[in-house]
Amino acid sequence: MKSIVIGIHLKQTDVEPVADSMKVDDLFASVFSVDDDRPLGDRELLLEIAAIRARLLDTATFIAIRYGLAVRDENELAMKCAGQTKRWREILGAHRDEVEMTLKAAATAATPRPDRRDFKSGAAYLRALHEAANAVDIDSDFRRGVERTLLPITTRHRWLRDSASVELAMLVRRGDLESVRAAGESLRRDHATMPFLLSGPWPLEVFADDHQQ
Amino acid sequence: MVEKEEELTLLETLDHLLDRGVVIAGEATISIGDVDLLYLGLNVVLANMDAMKRSSGPGRK
Repeated sequence: MKSIVIGIHLKQTDVEPVADSMKVDDLFASVFSVDDDRPLGDRELLLEIAAIRARLLDTATFIAIRYGLAVRDENELAMKCAGQTKRWREILGAHRDEVEMTLKAAATAATPRPDRRDFKSGAAYLRALHEAANAVDIDSDFRRGVERTLLPITTRHRWLRDSASVELAMLVRRGDLESVRAAGESLRRDHATMPFLLSGPWPLEVFADDHQQ
Repeated sequence: MVEKEEELTLLETLDHLLDRGVVIAGEATISIGDVDLLYLGLNVVLANMDAMKRSSGPGRK
């Protein structure tokens, strides 16, 4: 059997009985055990893990581990998580009452991806890639609407961009989720032609990696 | 419309599962039907954007 790691939690009761738990330092990992020969890409498995992830978030906020990490036992988990638990504990303590929400919007004009063959050096190519991604923006009226309606409700936010879309990751108090949804409805009414997607709540995903920004 | 919203919710959920969260050393290479998940992730994003344009409104979980 192998155990797929779903998230890192502050307390064992945040995990059980929704999922099995593995101790990692003084924190707990939520895990889901599967047969060794079951591929991680199995569609039903993905859906099952996604459902467990949502139920775990109903219980308490946790740090999401990107899908794909599978371990044999607590020793292997401890080895792979070495050096991270102190920071995780701080993040979990600081954001216990918060969840993430995501707003995705199509970019006003998708920037063509630079072609590697057009650049003499890798550095120039990387710079062009970075500039292309950062040149993308959303409709300015819609952005002002987001800043007016959504941002005041969030405790933290971060704009993320790729070559075709702009995404707003927000940290929101659980008690403010209804206000966020109401702000989404307001945006939909005020910007009826603007395609966007407001989704969540999600566990700590973007804001679990704050130290890397 | 309900079906589209459900499809969008599923895609968004899988997008978060596969493309978000802390990355820990030792992640397995995952494939579904010989399609590497890196590419699947890209398709999810593209499908999301397409669905968003069709529905012209917010979906939510």
